Amino acid sequence: MTSLRWVGVIAHKDLRIEFRAGGRVVAMIALAVLACFLFAFALDRSQVSARHVAASLTWLTVLFAATAGAGRAFDTEEEDGAFRHLLLTPIPRHAIFLGKTAANLVLIWMVTLLAFIALTAFLGLRDPGSLTHHGAVFLPGTIGLAATGTFFGLVSRHSSLGDTILPALTFPLLVPVIFFGATASARVFMERPWPEISGSVRLLWAFALGFTAVGSILFRYVAED
Amino acid sequence: MNLEARELVCDYGPTRAVDSVDIAAAGGSILAVFGPNGAGKTTLLRMLSGERKPDRGDVRLDGRPVSGSDPAWRSRVGLISHRTGLYRKLTVGENLAFFATLHGVADRAAAAARALDGVGAGELDGKPVEQLSRGQRQRVALARSLMHDPDIVFLDEPFTGLDPGGAAALETMLRMCRADGKIVVLVTHDLRRGVELADRVVVLRRGRKVLDGSASEHGAEDLLRFFTAGGGAAGEGAAA
Repeated sequence: MTSLRWVGVIAHKDLRIEFRAGGRVVAMIALAVLACFLFAFALDRSQVSARHVAASLTWLTVLFAATAGAGRAFDTEEEDGAFRHLLLTPIPRHAIFLGKTAANLVLIWMVTLLAFIALTAFLGLRDPGSLTHHGAVFLPGTIGLAATGTFFGLVSRHSSLGDTILPALTFPLLVPVIFFGATASARVFMERPWPEISGSVRLLWAFALGFTAVGSILFRYVAED
Repeated sequence: MNLEARELVCDYGPTRAVDSVDIAAAGGSILAVFGPNGAGKTTLLRMLSGERKPDRGDVRLDGRPVSGSDPAWRSRVGLISHRTGLYRKLTVGENLAFFATLHGVADRAAAAARALDGVGAGELDGKPVEQLSRGQRQRVALARSLMHDPDIVFLDEPFTGLDPGGAAALETMLRMCRADGKIVVLVTHDLRRGVELADRVVVLRRGRKVLDGSASEHGAEDLLRFFTAGGGAAGEGAAA
């Protein structure tokens, strides 16, 4: 069996549990909707153009929800000691990391879609720009969020501070993702041509692949005693 | 098949949890490890199974060093602990299928059914784990841990929470493992049951081995003596 198949098996198991349990999915969605709602009402649209701030608000919403979700990514592994048995299976450690990252990614995509729809609706943006371009920006950005969140989700579990340390660990690392993601998304909202966006997207891909590769390598050292 | 550990040392910060412990277990035998709380039993088991790398010393199977980072080693190991390691939101069948897939078991459905029948839990297949009693979960965990036919079975307080029927099923399974030539290493507080099952007994106290001998030569009352400081001094270096 290839590593890719193992990644699929882990991700499928995680998503099946998440959708059956509902807790993490509901928490992430609730947080995203609430953040969108508050952002929309906190904004004085007579002073600021909604089109100019929509990208930043979407990325902040996704960041908060993704971090909240990542903090609970290992709950099901630890509630009855399953992680110990998972680590004793002969599959490579990086397959466990990638599988859990893939499951996180699906949940983050759901939140991203919801946040995008909610914010464009709350802010009254009838034409938010090319949806294909939005997708091309969010895809690498959310991969970076998922990989970083999954890795530090496990790190925070090994810390005496638990989930409370997670934002302090992840936010500094995610500054480039949020910066280039928000920059690129803003240009899409402003309906700028692709060449003006593609530079930021390339950097997002570099961060996404870098975080995923580093997480895959370091995961075993954090997972094992 | 022989599992040997030499001069195993494990430190948790300034605390030495396991201190220069030698241990050996042969295929077709059960080794029981006893000791008071904090004696280092679970840490020793984690080093033997490869879950934790020793700070010093090594573990060898038939003379070859083994490592928890080696997938080939992990595929030969089965672990049963007092925590079942099952996913509560999945059914029994889904749990077994998941672990069977990761262990590369060829016919997952047949292997799962066989393993469940073996522990007298065949009727639980479609039930969510969260709806099972503690004893039923432990039986399923036992099936999960033996489903891939491991050569070496490690048990960490496996009798905790088991009803008499479950404990009897576990004992039967362990005797079958021994008959199949597997190495069984059992860590337990249950002296009477451990002595009845085991071929060899080891007692740890404060990380050090204070007794290593044949189970037939040591009764539960006898072993209890080694849990205390006075008994340890008398038993230091005892070996079969």
